Amino acid sequence: MSEIMDFRIRWGMVIDLDKCTGCGACMVACQAENNIAPQVDASNKLRSLNWLVVYRLSNGRAFPDHEVAYLPRPCMQCGKPSCVSVCPVIATDKREEGGIVSQIPPRCIGCRYCMASCPYHARYFNWYDPKWPGDLGRALTPDVSTRPRGVVEKCTFCHHRWQKAKDEAIANGRDPWDLPDGAYVTSCAEACPNGAITFGDLKNPKHKVHELSQSPYAFRLLERLGTDPQVYYLSRREWVRRKGDNYLEDEPTAGTRRG
Amino acid sequence: MNRRGFLKFAAGGTVGLAASPVIWNTLYDAVYWTQNWGWIPRLQKGASEYLPTISKVCPSGTGIRVRLVGGRPVRALGNPGNAMSQGALTALAAAETQLQVSPARLKTPLKRSPDGAYVAISWEEAEKMLRDKALEARGAMACISGDPTSSVNEVFTGFMNAMGSDDFYFMPGEELPALKAWSLMGGQGRLGYDIEHSDFVLSIGANFLESWGTVARNRKAFSAGRPAGQKPALKVAYAGPVQNNTAAGADWWLPIRPDTEMALALGVAHLVIKKGKAPFRIGLPAFAALAERYDPATVAKLTGVDAARLEAVVDALLEAQKPLVITGSPLGAGGAAGPIMAAIAINILLDRVGKEGNLVDLSFPSPVVNGATHIRSLLARDLVAWTQAVAAGKAPAPKMLMIYDANPLYALPAGSGMAEVLDRTPFTVALASFMSETCARCDLVLPAAMGLERFDDACTPYGSGQFSYSIAAPVVEPFYEARPAGELIIALAQELGVDLGVEDMPQLLHKKALSMGADFRALTESGGVFTDDAQRSPVVPLFNTAALQAAITTPAGSSDASVRLAPVLVLGMGTPQTAIPPFATKIIADYQLKGMDSVAQMNSATAAKLGVRQGERVKLQSAAATVTVLVDLFEGVQTDTVALCAGLGHTAFDEFSRGKGINITTLTSVSREPGTGLSVWGGAELARA
Amino acid sequence: MDYSKPLDAALFPEDCPRCSLTRFMMWLGALSLLLLFGLYAAVRVLGWGLGETGMDDYFGFGLWITFDLAVIALGAGAFFTGLLRYILNIDELKNIVNLAAVIGFLCYTGAMLILVLDIGQPIRCWFGYWYANVHSMLTEVIFCITCYCIVLIIEYVPLVLENRQLAKSRFVSALAHNFHLIMPLFAGIGAFLSTFHQGSLGGMYGVLFGRPYAFRDGFFIWPWTFFLFILSAISSGPMFTVLVCTLMEKMSGRRLVTWDVKQLMGKIGGVMLVIYTVFKLLDTWAWATGILPRVGMTFDQMFHGMIYGKWLMAAELLFIVVPAVCLLMPSLRRNPAVFYTMLILTCVSVTLNRYLQTVQTLAVPVMPFDSWYTYAPNWAEWGACILVFAYAAIVLSLSYRYLPMFPQEASLNKDR
Repeated sequence: MSEIMDFRIRWGMVIDLDKCTGCGACMVACQAENNIAPQVDASNKLRSLNWLVVYRLSNGRAFPDHEVAYLPRPCMQCGKPSCVSVCPVIATDKREEGGIVSQIPPRCIGCRYCMASCPYHARYFNWYDPKWPGDLGRALTPDVSTRPRGVVEKCTFCHHRWQKAKDEAIANGRDPWDLPDGAYVTSCAEACPNGAITFGDLKNPKHKVHELSQSPYAFRLLERLGTDPQVYYLSRREWVRRKGDNYLEDEPTAGTRRG
Repeated sequence: MNRRGFLKFAAGGTVGLAASPVIWNTLYDAVYWTQNWGWIPRLQKGASEYLPTISKVCPSGTGIRVRLVGGRPVRALGNPGNAMSQGALTALAAAETQLQVSPARLKTPLKRSPDGAYVAISWEEAEKMLRDKALEARGAMACISGDPTSSVNEVFTGFMNAMGSDDFYFMPGEELPALKAWSLMGGQGRLGYDIEHSDFVLSIGANFLESWGTVARNRKAFSAGRPAGQKPALKVAYAGPVQNNTAAGADWWLPIRPDTEMALALGVAHLVIKKGKAPFRIGLPAFAALAERYDPATVAKLTGVDAARLEAVVDALLEAQKPLVITGSPLGAGGAAGPIMAAIAINILLDRVGKEGNLVDLSFPSPVVNGATHIRSLLARDLVAWTQAVAAGKAPAPKMLMIYDANPLYALPAGSGMAEVLDRTPFTVALASFMSETCARCDLVLPAAMGLERFDDACTPYGSGQFSYSIAAPVVEPFYEARPAGELIIALAQELGVDLGVEDMPQLLHKKALSMGADFRALTESGGVFTDDAQRSPVVPLFNTAALQAAITTPAGSSDASVRLAPVLVLGMGTPQTAIPPFATKIIADYQLKGMDSVAQMNSATAAKLGVRQGERVKLQSAAATVTVLVDLFEGVQTDTVALCAGLGHTAFDEFSRGKGINITTLTSVSREPGTGLSVWGGAELARA
Repeated sequence: MDYSKPLDAALFPEDCPRCSLTRFMMWLGALSLLLLFGLYAAVRVLGWGLGETGMDDYFGFGLWITFDLAVIALGAGAFFTGLLRYILNIDELKNIVNLAAVIGFLCYTGAMLILVLDIGQPIRCWFGYWYANVHSMLTEVIFCITCYCIVLIIEYVPLVLENRQLAKSRFVSALAHNFHLIMPLFAGIGAFLSTFHQGSLGGMYGVLFGRPYAFRDGFFIWPWTFFLFILSAISSGPMFTVLVCTLMEKMSGRRLVTWDVKQLMGKIGGVMLVIYTVFKLLDTWAWATGILPRVGMTFDQMFHGMIYGKWLMAAELLFIVVPAVCLLMPSLRRNPAVFYTMLILTCVSVTLNRYLQTVQTLAVPVMPFDSWYTYAPNWAEWGACILVFAYAAIVLSLSYRYLPMFPQEASLNKDR
């Protein structure tokens, strides 16, 4: 399992950090789409369940030379996921075409080993049963099952939307394995008013992400760990790119390394 | 049974049980039970349909497509068919289907009993009460509306005018000072901003990528002007005391001290004139003489912005082909007209006003309801001036006050007199969708249908670059017993013999659309926007240096022990009417709210001055109030300034909002802008208590 | 009935007087109060959810996993002593092997108890076997620990059967005898299973390539931590057995095992400790100069403030280096004060090691824009640990009172 898993289709994101202003629309859209329960007190970020989280980045300089950037962090859907090999019950796997790391809550025993393994903190635990007070449960979508307490969950790149896109392609006599750009997009990418998140098949030259991921400004988070993420980030600012990985003092900021 | 027999039985039983499917099936079933405990809601399947409408909770009327499953709204998605928002969604609009069923929604009419408790009553009783009180209050009725874009205001004013009352006010917003400034500078209609055609936006205090103006459209323009991974075609500079969401998208941040927007704008004007780029206009010499005083060194002293950085921004502004300078107030309300006049003056200096990508002059729609007051006159009214007058006994208190889709008790600052107005009015009625602080002070609370549940419209929201009109069509039945407020008032008028000329809201909207040449049916079916560039009048802007000069205030500084408040607005946290949507608690950062405490962000120099440490809980006091906040060090705040989020500190609504943090409007007090006389607020001097 | 003896004297091991039943009941009563508190914590966790603990999404592992790993390491005396006694035939160890087995049994069952609380879906615990992922170190742990737990039960049962009254039954006596005959086989199986899961527990951390504090290179599929965990367990396990034995002597006021046996255990542990120390130091050096720079991080970045400071690692290393030296020098080893101090230091170091591997690993922010957060176990987590402690103390007290755990006890206390 230590090999990088590769597929013909590689769903991925390219998130332009120069376009993200940190409004949180993606996080709201993610919660609504994936039936993530609202939380009365979500100010303890270590106990707030949200598949997608927007981090605030700082260039570390004092006022007035300070700069900020916002970084939305979904699951990286790593080519070499640290979580998959550690799960004792195969509740998470990466074997489906498209390269999305699956997460099957009914299989999960809640040992949280995957959470310990993930350097991106992309995995969340249901510390309590989810609650939809009052009539809030009426707004649940029919696409994503609710999860009970005691299981781990994470971003699935809105996998149900891919299923739907494939079904539609088949119904319309098109090839479900060669979807046009935009036929399948995640809820966050769809919701971003700034167009900061682009979603598509990284391997398909007809998809915008293919070109964007090869931009000289593209980078991935913690590439040196060898996780081979399917999420790319863009920034023209070097300090932002340098925040994408750990560098020793004298090391130059790397361009994108592609495996 | 002997021992041997027992052992045999036990052994046989064990083997038999193991061989039977009982244990194994039970174990297998355990997977399903543990996934589907009875207390966790199940998904309800159903056919999906997507209906277009517009968001009425989002102040700029963002276009949305509502996904319904089996008739239940489950998602608010962007609507690419809406030319204003072009498929973009704000964090608030994205939460609208959850707001529709949120615990804070009002379900039935409520009457305040003598002991202060609210009792559910029937609509019949509520309507009778409303009718009786309206008759009693003939000639002494007042109304506050929180939705300046809706034609429902015509229903209110038409009815009230027929009843002999004209005390109708909008909740203060950005448009009040803009209208004042624009007319002082020669504008005919309302101020519009052609952001999408600009290639350089200098925003002085306008949080236009988050909360100011037509947010979804602004951000769509930002998105289009900055293609991913490429050199931006649209450059942005933001001047404000805090590195807020707009600053995060800007190429330059000019960290000004709070309430120094005017000085910065005049500093920019100074440099534009000095660099010889301003063409001659009538009035230029007088204005240039005023701007002359605002050299970079002086501006640096007044605003705290480094002279070199200011010059760099002005150079970029002058290099741009289609630059635009905009201004806004930190709270989105209570802003002064002065900085807007100064910004208009810069746009005049740049010779761009009325041209592509700059300020435009948009006309007002005409009323279609009999006897309704013209929107132009309504927009110019200053609510706080009236509430203060009533509170001070200088104006008569109304006998009946209707508050529609507004939460003035929460949103207005200290000294606004709103609480006194409520106390002095014998009958107050709130028409609202959520149990707000204002509702909790009214005699009658009527559950109003939300935008998703009613016919409504949005005409040219502030910040738009075009005369625009869009229609909200209901996609779902009203929540419990909620009713559309417009229908309620139309029915009330009919019963009291007032002929408004419309039978119901759809007819009103149909008439309205027709009056401007729009197609009611097409708009409701597509959720689109009607725009009319013919409704743009050519402008002859002028430098009204006298008015500008009159509006100049000495920026309130801070003493050796005090700092200034810098409000931060985040749209996702909701509006005063909605409070925090249930899904928004997670997007509120822990540097904005921690537990039940508001977090005060400040840079390390400010913290040293106040003598506070990271994470410390401190008491801060202004002239109006004392609050307890947590300290968070953040270098993206001007020195001697404390950034605090607006939208917190609710005492009503539901568990997602109640008791969380402090309401920063309580810290600020109302003053009058010299020259224009507008009620202004938003700043405060804070010291440790 | 001899009224000068406690009411339950007939159940005591031969020639081994015990305290009065009333006193014993008071002791059990005190322990039961702790047990009840622990049970309350367990009910809260099982009934309400793991939100009742102090853990969070950054610290998905906390006190419980640290506790599990520590007791499993310290309980390694069971398999290692068993191995030496039954396979390598070091005969003197028969005098302490019973205690080692009981301690092992308690440590492992206690750890299992905590694990039931620690996993979010205890009803699905059997998934570990049914849907096993062979690539996961945790699968190896689940299999080996449960299997070894059965072995420990098999090792504990004959001791129970040796109770004076039970042994009177011919059947029981024959059964116990047969158990003893097959004990070498189980000692062997136990040694195999235990070695593997001690290693796999270390491997669990060593494979975390996303966590620079824990990640290690290794041999074949086993990261170096795999071997370090085995070594640390077999050095500290025997020492912990000796410490428990001595504690029991202090509490009961009776000599249970000869000084020579203890010295032997200490010497064996000491030898293992030397090997462990050498490899641990090498490993730390290779990690600091090899793995960390490779992922762009520095030694300094692995530590933060006081609570996650370097002093923790310094203490961890110091507490194995000093005992390794002292236990190998006969003159120092023979000094009881030095001897016991060194045993305690070693156990502390191993426990600290498990804590650091668990909590420090998770605390180190890997994304450069992330922050250090602190974790502190709350009452529910401590409560569950107290539950296990109380359970272990009760079982150990009962075993001591009624079972012939110490073959030397009668002879050592004859002159009293």
